[in-house]
Amino acid sequence: MLAESISEIGLGHFLVLSMILFITGMLGVLLRKNILTVLMSIELMLNAINLSFVAYARSLNQLDGQIIVFFIMTIAAAEAGVGLALVVAVFKRFKEVNIRFFEHLKG
Amino acid sequence: MTNEYFIAIMLLSPLVGFLINGIFGRGRWGGYTSGAIATFFALTSFASAAYLVFGLTELADGPRIISATFFDWITVDELKIPARFVVDPISAIMVLVVTGVGTLIHLFSIGYMHEDRGVTKYFSYLNFFLFNMLVLVTGDSLPIMFVGWEGVGLASYLLIGFWFNDEEKATAGMKAFITNRIGDAAFIIGMFILFFHFGTLEFEKINSLVPVGPTLSWLSPLTLGTLLLFIGATGKSAQIPLYVWLPDAMAGPTPVSALIHAATMVTAGVYMIVRLSFLFAAAPYTLMVIAIIGALTVVLAATIGLAQWDIKKVLAYSTVSQLGYMFLACGVGAFGAALFHLMTHAFFKALMFLGSGSVIHGMHHEQDMRRMGGLKKYLPITYFTFLAGWLAIIGMPPFAGFFSKDEILWQSFSSSNGHWIFWAIGVLGATLTSFYMTRLMALTFWGQERFDKKHHHPHESPYSMLIPLIALAVLSIVGGWLGIPHVISEVLPAHPANVLEHWLEGSLVHPIAATAVDGGHADHAALEWGLMGLSVGLALLSAVTAYVFYIVKPEIPKLLVQKLGQAYELVFNKYYVDEIYQRYILNPLVKASEDLWLYVDVRIIDKLTYVLTDMSIGTGKMSKAMQTGNIQTYALYIVMGVAIILTIFFGV
Amino acid sequence: MTAEVFLFWFLAIVTVVSALGVLFMPNPIYSAFSLIMTMIGVSALFALLGAYFLAGVQVIVYAGAVLVLFVMVMMLFDLKSEIKAFTKGTLGGVFKIGSVAVLAGLILSAIMVTTQGVAIKFQGQADFGMQPTRLLGNKLFTQYVIIFEILGALLLVVAVGAVALSRSKGGTHARRID
Repeated sequence: MLAESISEIGLGHFLVLSMILFITGMLGVLLRKNILTVLMSIELMLNAINLSFVAYARSLNQLDGQIIVFFIMTIAAAEAGVGLALVVAVFKRFKEVNIRFFEHLKG
Repeated sequence: MTNEYFIAIMLLSPLVGFLINGIFGRGRWGGYTSGAIATFFALTSFASAAYLVFGLTELADGPRIISATFFDWITVDELKIPARFVVDPISAIMVLVVTGVGTLIHLFSIGYMHEDRGVTKYFSYLNFFLFNMLVLVTGDSLPIMFVGWEGVGLASYLLIGFWFNDEEKATAGMKAFITNRIGDAAFIIGMFILFFHFGTLEFEKINSLVPVGPTLSWLSPLTLGTLLLFIGATGKSAQIPLYVWLPDAMAGPTPVSALIHAATMVTAGVYMIVRLSFLFAAAPYTLMVIAIIGALTVVLAATIGLAQWDIKKVLAYSTVSQLGYMFLACGVGAFGAALFHLMTHAFFKALMFLGSGSVIHGMHHEQDMRRMGGLKKYLPITYFTFLAGWLAIIGMPPFAGFFSKDEILWQSFSSSNGHWIFWAIGVLGATLTSFYMTRLMALTFWGQERFDKKHHHPHESPYSMLIPLIALAVLSIVGGWLGIPHVISEVLPAHPANVLEHWLEGSLVHPIAATAVDGGHADHAALEWGLMGLSVGLALLSAVTAYVFYIVKPEIPKLLVQKLGQAYELVFNKYYVDEIYQRYILNPLVKASEDLWLYVDVRIIDKLTYVLTDMSIGTGKMSKAMQTGNIQTYALYIVMGVAIILTIFFGV
Repeated sequence: MTAEVFLFWFLAIVTVVSALGVLFMPNPIYSAFSLIMTMIGVSALFALLGAYFLAGVQVIVYAGAVLVLFVMVMMLFDLKSEIKAFTKGTLGGVFKIGSVAVLAGLILSAIMVTTQGVAIKFQGQADFGMQPTRLLGNKLFTQYVIIFEILGALLLVVAVGAVALSRSKGGTHARRID
């Protein structure tokens, strides 16, 4: 069973890998202090999801999964753009990129 | 189809005037502009009303009716109330009186009110009143009538308290409104009972469902419903026990007293009973109550009127008393006579109020008759028109009041529902009326000039005020000729027909039927002549007495006051009715409300709400801690939420 | 052990290790480089799954564009290695890690349930009829054209928004710096 699951690769392998990447990204979002790292962790999570989509596309023999990945990439790029602009704004004011400066946004 | 348009124009043009003056006029237009606008729309309404009534006369016999259904107002299960308005012989009279007298009073108001600061507001209210009054009289179901009923109540409140800076006047407005509320509550309950019983509130459908024979039971829905409606009428038409607001309502501008509190609104109760004559005729017990209340009101109000010094108060009590006559007529089943008196009363009482308004205007807002006298020299036209009104109200032939009052007296004597006691009370009332009205004439226009000539320079009013007076004076003279009784017309050379009776034929129900009028015509004629002569004679005698008292020997009244002492005090203080109400009804009510406030509201309801607010504040404090502002904490919430949702997915 | 299997394991190790690098590197620059590594690994995995076009886009867009942006921003800031890479609060950290662990367990069990113990094999070669890239383009400009256009508009908005944000004088409405 174990040997088989090492020597033969299936959908499950890719999903588990995707899950590990996703969890890592999630921990980065939750724990890192630097906003830039947090943004990078978000990218990581998006990539993990992309991976599972592509794996499903391969498994189900349908291209639509890949198209969704394409769209997600676009969204990710947009998110990175806006996020970095915000980071720049925060840095301009506080000369530091600690995530807790966003606490000031609380009403 | 055109009739529908004309009904719409008649109803809506005062509303349009109200909106124009109310929205655009404030602080911008003077009295002449807004007065002209308001009068124009009232006149438009009158013109279309006249056209409609003319169209009504052209209609062939049978159910003469012009109606317009605009839309379905309420449709709930069984309850269907179309917004239907009718002009039939009964409402035709009212429509003409309301719009006609209304227009004249609008015109009068221009002269009377044009200097007032709130004149635009005044005219918009006046138009608003007219609209509601028309809804009241033309509405073809009880709820529609009630809409108008409430609307005129509102207009009345607004106009009584028109000078709301004066606390007394504002209070008078509230008193009128609240007293009317009592009656209105009864009206609504009566409406519910009738709906329970008949399953409909439209007049025609109720008419077809009314049982043929009289209902001889106090507890039958018919008797109860009509009694409650009558209580509503006592509120609006100022009868015992709810008449107390009307004298106070004189706080409003005098044209308002003329229009609302003499000619039109206060007759709404009488009109309602006449309108529902088919219903009331089937409830003899209710009729009996109405007759008794009416008769009592006649005498009570007339006696109070004897001792008042304020010219408007005298007229107010006179109005209450005259309304009593109308109810007496309804009570003995003479609905036509009630409507007749309603009409003539609208003419001569509006005339007298406007006349008093002219006097007050000429005397620079002096209302106390003790500081008047001898005014006929200064106000000749007002004097002569007032003279016509006076002769009409004391019932001198051939003035209008004679015919209508005589018809009521004769019917209360002769009809099967009548009784000679009613007649006797009516004659007593007429005698008293004659006395206090002559007293009013004597104190105001005749005798010595008792006002301070340095401060008062009585002057005749402008033409805009005199024209309505003259028009109403003419109507007060000829208005009664519409209903000349048979006994008189037989003697007259041209044998003029009783136009009004013919007009209302078929529209009204006569519980008196065949028993009284037919048979022994000659005997009745002799009797009728005799009674007529007696009442006129007594009125004349009483007028002469009053003349003697107040002109020839002014010391007699003072002597009488000293002699009568306590009795005079009683009458002068209006039988202490207000005080009794205050002590035995209002004060306990206030006390009970205070107790309810202190014990139920503060201790139970407020406590309950405090508990609820404390709870929500506590919850808020708890959830406040969650909103840290830290983004990573929020992200944690998302993670936890996803975890919980997934757990639920797997769990199920 | 075919080449495919070997490649998968190799790439899996590379991506996971570099992902952990993103998580733990105290200096953001190192995190960024680790992320580039992950991206390239993922791109290779895409290629392994037959998505050649996406593999190329991944390298160009992520490694080429997004991460260059990140690095440039960092150069702008002149950041130093941080002494503490993670936010304060032991209790909060425990909570966060615990929740993530629970979630990981749940996802893992979901994967196990749906794939019957990772046993589902891919059926032969990926067969998309025409060349996959061509077909992808076809679909993108026919079936999904509206979404495509909307995303184009979104990118424009984002470009404008990003410029507007970075041109602002900076900071929030808060006056206090604590």
